[in-house]
Amino acid sequence: MSETWLIIGGWVAAGLTIFIFSFLYKDNPFFKIAEHLYLGAGMGWWFQVMFYNIWKPKVWEPVKILVNGLQIIQSYHIWKPEFWKAVWTAGDWTIFIPTLLGLSLITQFFQKISWVSRYGFTFIMGYGAGLVIPVSVSTDFMTQILGTIKPLFKVGTEMSWASFFYTFNTFLIAFGLVCVLIYFFFSAEQKGLVKKASNIGIYFLMLYFGAAFGNTVMGRFSLLYGRFDDLYKYSSVKYFYAAQIIAAALAVYFILNHFISAKKSRAAQDNSGS
Amino acid sequence: MMLIKRYIPLAIVFVFGIMTLATYYIPPKLAQDYYLETMNKWINIVAAFAFLLALLSLFYSHYNKIKRKVDGWGYSIFVYIGFLVVVVCAIKSEGQLMTGPALTSLGWIFRFLYNTLSASMFAVLAYYIVSTAFRSFRIKTLQAFVLFMAALFFIIGKVPLGNVLWNKLFFWTNVSISQVTDWIINVPSVAAKRGIMIGIAVGAIVTSLKIIFGIERQYMGKD
Repeated sequence: MSETWLIIGGWVAAGLTIFIFSFLYKDNPFFKIAEHLYLGAGMGWWFQVMFYNIWKPKVWEPVKILVNGLQIIQSYHIWKPEFWKAVWTAGDWTIFIPTLLGLSLITQFFQKISWVSRYGFTFIMGYGAGLVIPVSVSTDFMTQILGTIKPLFKVGTEMSWASFFYTFNTFLIAFGLVCVLIYFFFSAEQKGLVKKASNIGIYFLMLYFGAAFGNTVMGRFSLLYGRFDDLYKYSSVKYFYAAQIIAAALAVYFILNHFISAKKSRAAQDNSGS
Repeated sequence: MMLIKRYIPLAIVFVFGIMTLATYYIPPKLAQDYYLETMNKWINIVAAFAFLLALLSLFYSHYNKIKRKVDGWGYSIFVYIGFLVVVVCAIKSEGQLMTGPALTSLGWIFRFLYNTLSASMFAVLAYYIVSTAFRSFRIKTLQAFVLFMAALFFIIGKVPLGNVLWNKLFFWTNVSISQVTDWIINVPSVAAKRGIMIGIAVGAIVTSLKIIFGIERQYMGKD
């Protein structure tokens, strides 16, 4: 890719970033263009991923092999066992099952035969449901319990602050888990001791939600730093001050738009008054 | 008609559900070689067609907007432009992002268009998360205070200024802010997370069993 294309890329990236950020001021056509472009580009991106990773190697290539393989059978008579053997060994016939199941989903667009899509959906649901049970039991259920049931004391270690904290933390995790589970246990009325344990469970949940919130905020901010870093890069002379020029052009648009819409609303008020 | 419209699809759910569940109890190599590998390939193919369904649905929706000239119909054209630009570049570069050290046209699109738009869109959320939290979150209870403090530790703990402030104000504790955040994430958060995960697991198992045995069948739509 030539240097010119990298400079054009800089202008495109700076422009799109500023268009998206312009929404922080107010909704505007530039943001909407970028938003719709993102939607289309995103679908295009996933389309090519599906095409080059699934449709081409897993559907098209096996069908092509099958068609080539079937050309041999022309030399056999249909009644001969060699004919059927050649048909069977021509390629992977099973590829038609998921292809037809997948194609059945497209019938959703035709109301009269939309029930055909159930075949595809039921395959997805059946396989998914069958997969979820062992995975949930082993990773989400058993592993979490096993991770909690640990000895409170390390055998062979002397008493120290480290061993005290180990015991304290291990106990706190087990105690917290029981309290959280009591909070989610709706089969017993939440009163008395159950209510107290449930309330303690809420504090553990709040700590987790707070930590998750903090992490999410910082994750988003790291993306924001990345965008600012890119804008800074594209504001250099190498990119012919792309970021500054686009930002200034957008500012001019907003100022002009403000005056024009103010003038229009004044004219509308005058018309309604007269 | 009920047979092919209702009973065969329910049988498909049951058969594939039970067979997939059974692989857990079959020697791993046997299950992996003869069933799971094939099923993974099949589910990928069906999922790819499900994506196609979503794509066609999106195109149909925006086509209708353009056809009926509803408010903002002009923006819908950019959905098609974005799609076509990516697909044409992908075909031109045969799905490759790089050829040696150089970017292909698809790589260029990914870096300057798709990645930029994606990162900017999520970066904008940073403002909204903070402003919404500021406007709607009020510390009226001790529980809300605990949530706030945990979030605050995580936010200030990840910026240099927060570390400097902590070291100035709480130097006498001999504990760094990263130790505090590590403790929160490794001890009380783990307890809460495990409780949630166990709850999710129980819910997922029950829902899956309901799907396999045909008790839950909303995904099939109406007759």
